[in-house]
Amino acid sequence: MSADTVSVTFDVYRFQPGKEAVPRYQRYTLDLTPHTPVLTGLLRIRDEVDPSLGLRYSCRSAICGSCAMQINSKSRLACETQVGPEVERHGRIVVEPMLNQSVLRDLIVDQSPFWREYEKIEPHLKLDPRRPMPAGKATPMTPAQVDRFQGTPRCIACAACYSACPAVSSDPAFPGPMALAKLYRFAVDPRDAAREDRLVRIQTEGLWLCLRCHLCTEACPKDVRPSERIRDLKEMAIAVQGATEHGSKHAVGFKRNIREGGTLNEMKLVRQTFGIFGMLPQLPHGLKIWRKKPEVARRPHPIEGQEELEGIYRALDREGDR
Amino acid sequence: MKLAYYPGCVAKESGRELDLSTRWVCQALGIEIAEFPKFSCCGSGFIDESNELLNIAINARNLAIAEAAGLDLMTVCSTCQGMLSLAKVRMEDAAVRAKVDAALKPLGIDYRGTSKVTHLLRVLVEDVGLEAIRAKVKRPLAGLKVGAFYGCHLLRPADEMRWESPEEPHAFEDLLAALGAEPVLYRGRVMCCGFPIQFVKPETAGRIAGRQILDAKDHGADAMATPCPLCHISMDAYQGPAAKLVGRPLDMPIFHLPQLVALAFGASPKELGFSRHLVSPEAALAKVPPAAR
Repeated sequence: MSADTVSVTFDVYRFQPGKEAVPRYQRYTLDLTPHTPVLTGLLRIRDEVDPSLGLRYSCRSAICGSCAMQINSKSRLACETQVGPEVERHGRIVVEPMLNQSVLRDLIVDQSPFWREYEKIEPHLKLDPRRPMPAGKATPMTPAQVDRFQGTPRCIACAACYSACPAVSSDPAFPGPMALAKLYRFAVDPRDAAREDRLVRIQTEGLWLCLRCHLCTEACPKDVRPSERIRDLKEMAIAVQGATEHGSKHAVGFKRNIREGGTLNEMKLVRQTFGIFGMLPQLPHGLKIWRKKPEVARRPHPIEGQEELEGIYRALDREGDR
Repeated sequence: MKLAYYPGCVAKESGRELDLSTRWVCQALGIEIAEFPKFSCCGSGFIDESNELLNIAINARNLAIAEAAGLDLMTVCSTCQGMLSLAKVRMEDAAVRAKVDAALKPLGIDYRGTSKVTHLLRVLVEDVGLEAIRAKVKRPLAGLKVGAFYGCHLLRPADEMRWESPEEPHAFEDLLAALGAEPVLYRGRVMCCGFPIQFVKPETAGRIAGRQILDAKDHGADAMATPCPLCHISMDAYQGPAAKLVGRPLDMPIFHLPQLVALAFGASPKELGFSRHLVSPEAALAKVPPAAR
């Protein structure tokens, strides 16, 4: 090992479904400079040590989004993750395929569900046929209109967010952070004529399954901040259609609930979300909770200064959704 | 040390054992807590979903109450911590601030952004300090393997919460070790408890909660502890349905953070509201040796 290199241990996930019964981890040790990208290390392993290692990559410059994988349990781009800090923090580099997608071979996952969700949001401009774009001319947008896209045009569809998302891993009805961030991008595009349709559709197609845990925002290598754009979509959807789903009823019900007493009336909120009959399936377990915590069924003490809160609501809450 | 105590809705009602144990710990450590009946709910992330600006304004009002008393504000809930911190960050944007001020000023509310928003966990680790905590321990939680569960909004988004690494936090484990317990590291400790969709799609929420509990269990935890009463609801009050959804018995006692601190400081379990938990912590408590005489 020369003075400017460090010994780097890679523990790489290896699995060929159909040929092998269980996955295994294979250890490789290389001398690398600390600034070497993990991808470069993996390519050296493939080219110099073990040509059977399967991985996806292309641009090596954090542009194409092909080389997302789990590096020490975090979904990241292998091309922009340097080996030095990983070894310093973890002692070694554990490389695994992304989560929430089945493994095809080693670090290569089947991305078809991810792309299917993307196709479902119809990621293209839908123009009003009565107002076609002038042929051969650009449609100018103001800087303020462009700002509304926020970080979404930066998305490179690497699926790091999809891999990190607990809603994706628990419910196939959730489209995933990337698809929703892309949907936002079209929902704020002033040239798009389908804005309202898009927002109405997504209310019943998984929008409200987002847990706002922000794991996607942490995983994103491009600071797209999907969780914050999903929040924006929720507010936009309520503004267009009102509260039609459990999720939007809960959000709007919560807002009204706090207006009344300043502090949460738990039982009333459940009724606001599910309705009287919708509450019935919750009842048996609800009784178990009530026996231990009778306050759930009590009206909470109102806060002092409720009139200040009312003043804030009057100034800032749109009446349309009351 | 004097702090404005922001209990949040749950600790005042269905999660009273959190409020009880918080008061016990603060008294033991000489932390003076000032109470403000004017505090409203933080919106719990739900008002943020329906009206972002309203959510910021409600929390700017809460912050202004602490500011007027010249105190930093202490939460005992990851979600309250997240919402109040988020309001403070958003109010750094001049355009947002102008809109919110236009609503608050006519009501005589003057938000200045001078109070820090902190959580009991941060107060214990950063302000009281682990050395002082260790000195107060009368009944070390020796032999108790505890999986810390942070709750999303204490950590993320990290550039807005401005505290520990969202992937590798250690304050909670440091505190548990200072109490004599054995912290258990598992991936789920920084994951989501499922609570935000408990009332959207309970079966999905339950699968998510169940998965994190199983992860802690498979890493050898006797119990879990959380600084968030919403995580507590998801993982204690709804553990029964979660166990059915993941198809394995869980039997995992879930402690509120200050309950374990108080226990190690010598509080009697009777004072800490354990009877209000849906999953009995008896078996875990039995593992803790009695205090030395």
